[in-house]
Amino acid sequence: MSPPAGKAPAGREPADDMEYADPGLARERTELAWTRTAVSFAALGAAILKYRPLIGLPVLVLSAVVWRLGRLPVPARAGRTRDRRPLLITMTTVGVSLVALALSFLGPGIGPLR
Amino acid sequence: MTDHPGGDDSPVTSESGDGTEPDARYTFANERTFLAWSRTSLALVVGGLAIAQLLPPFPGIPWGRHLIGTPLILLGCAVSVISYLEWKASQRALRHGQPLPRSRLPQILAIAIAVIGLIAAALALLSAVGVP
Repeated sequence: MSPPAGKAPAGREPADDMEYADPGLARERTELAWTRTAVSFAALGAAILKYRPLIGLPVLVLSAVVWRLGRLPVPARAGRTRDRRPLLITMTTVGVSLVALALSFLGPGIGPLR
Repeated sequence: MTDHPGGDDSPVTSESGDGTEPDARYTFANERTFLAWSRTSLALVVGGLAIAQLLPPFPGIPWGRHLIGTPLILLGCAVSVISYLEWKASQRALRHGQPLPRSRLPQILAIAIAVIGLIAAALALLSAVGVP
């Protein structure tokens, strides 16, 4: 049985007292974490946008996608244990890293719109 | 179990082929940890890119910026992949009621940042004394 609100599961210490007092906070904190991640993508997109608008713009759009991913309604998810969103975030980060690596060698000011 | 933790008293143990459904609070905490590492990896990528593109070249060491920026970007990439693998391992451990695996990321990050910091310090010293 799931522990009643305000009580930690048997044999486990409460991860966060406030969460056990108000269990809905866990979800809210997680949504805020998704928002912070989206802001991080936006910051990276904005940094690239200054020198490479054609590459920076898609990264900015990605930040909106990440924000939306964090707010997907539960029924739309394939179940928390088969959650594909972390894989999606990882693949996106790896892709963006490779783009950043290429850009670091091309240098600023060679962008198609400059 | 509902998505809302503690929202009802339905069993946590909604059986499936891969262990049992853990308490949603632990799942959320695991997700937040993964997201925090993802942000760390993005910060490393942004830092590496900024160093490679925006920093003025080291006098006499034109490849100096890439020597710092490229490892930072690669480190960001690695942190992202490892954090995903650790999220998956933690989720599996939670489902099977096993102890959570120890994270190697803090150690990896600390060592890598220290090495890159030493390289940056060496480059700054070399460019200051004018070694080509």
